[in-house]
Amino acid sequence: MADGPASPAGGSHESGEQSPRSSVREQDRYLPIANISRIMKKALPANGKIAKDAKETVQECVSEFISFITSEASDKCQREKRKTINGDDLLWAMATLGFEDYIDPLKVYLARYREMEGDTKGSVKGGDGSGRREAVAGQPSQNSQAQHLMLPMQGTE
Amino acid sequence: MRQAGTYSGILSGGISGRTGPHSLPLARIKKIMKKSGDDVKMISGEAPIVFSKACELFIEELTVRSWLVTLKGKRRTLHKEDVAAAIISTDIFDFLVSLVSNNSNGCEANLDNNGEEMV
Repeated sequence: MADGPASPAGGSHESGEQSPRSSVREQDRYLPIANISRIMKKALPANGKIAKDAKETVQECVSEFISFITSEASDKCQREKRKTINGDDLLWAMATLGFEDYIDPLKVYLARYREMEGDTKGSVKGGDGSGRREAVAGQPSQNSQAQHLMLPMQGTE
Repeated sequence: MRQAGTYSGILSGGISGRTGPHSLPLARIKKIMKKSGDDVKMISGEAPIVFSKACELFIEELTVRSWLVTLKGKRRTLHKEDVAAAIISTDIFDFLVSLVSNNSNGCEANLDNNGEEMV
């Protein structure tokens, strides 16, 4: 992963204030417009066209969506005294916030990913490894409870 | 694709093979997640993967609903106003209402007040 938990961009911004959002580079705030545009086009009939302002609006909406779901998932983790937001927390948050239609396709997608992760683990050192590294790197600032919760994850390797 | 080594093999080999060539960059998703709040510190490796698909579903739904507005207006080009109308008429998109009403109502110079100067 290029941006670990100690990522300079994310980290310095977080520790600072939320307000100077405009000073944050655009590519840190939004997903690439080309990817957004491609997904939008796929959803339209062949003769449909999309104005640039519509793409930009959707681009903003997607970032808002990610934040909206993440905040809800993060609240849940805090209530349950967990430090790491995982995939199931996100699914739960989506179901809670009205996106229950997404759950089934996401579960299928996630199951495929996990399968793949298992297949490639030997050669690639799959997502497992990065999750663990992240947890370890995050620990210095966390209490012992977090370490406790991390242990089972490490054990799965 | 810009995502780093850990996932690129997995994505190009498998998941994107199923969903098309357009998986969203995981590192970027993660950055946006981290900006969601100060208490968002640790994110499992799976979380951005979930979002890459969820965002796709979200974009599709928003686009289709917006397109219906476009068609109603007997047009062939989807505009920002169509997206705004779709958001306003869809319950689950309520969290976006302030974003689009800022944008579409009145002059765009106002947006600087919110630090949202993206237009």
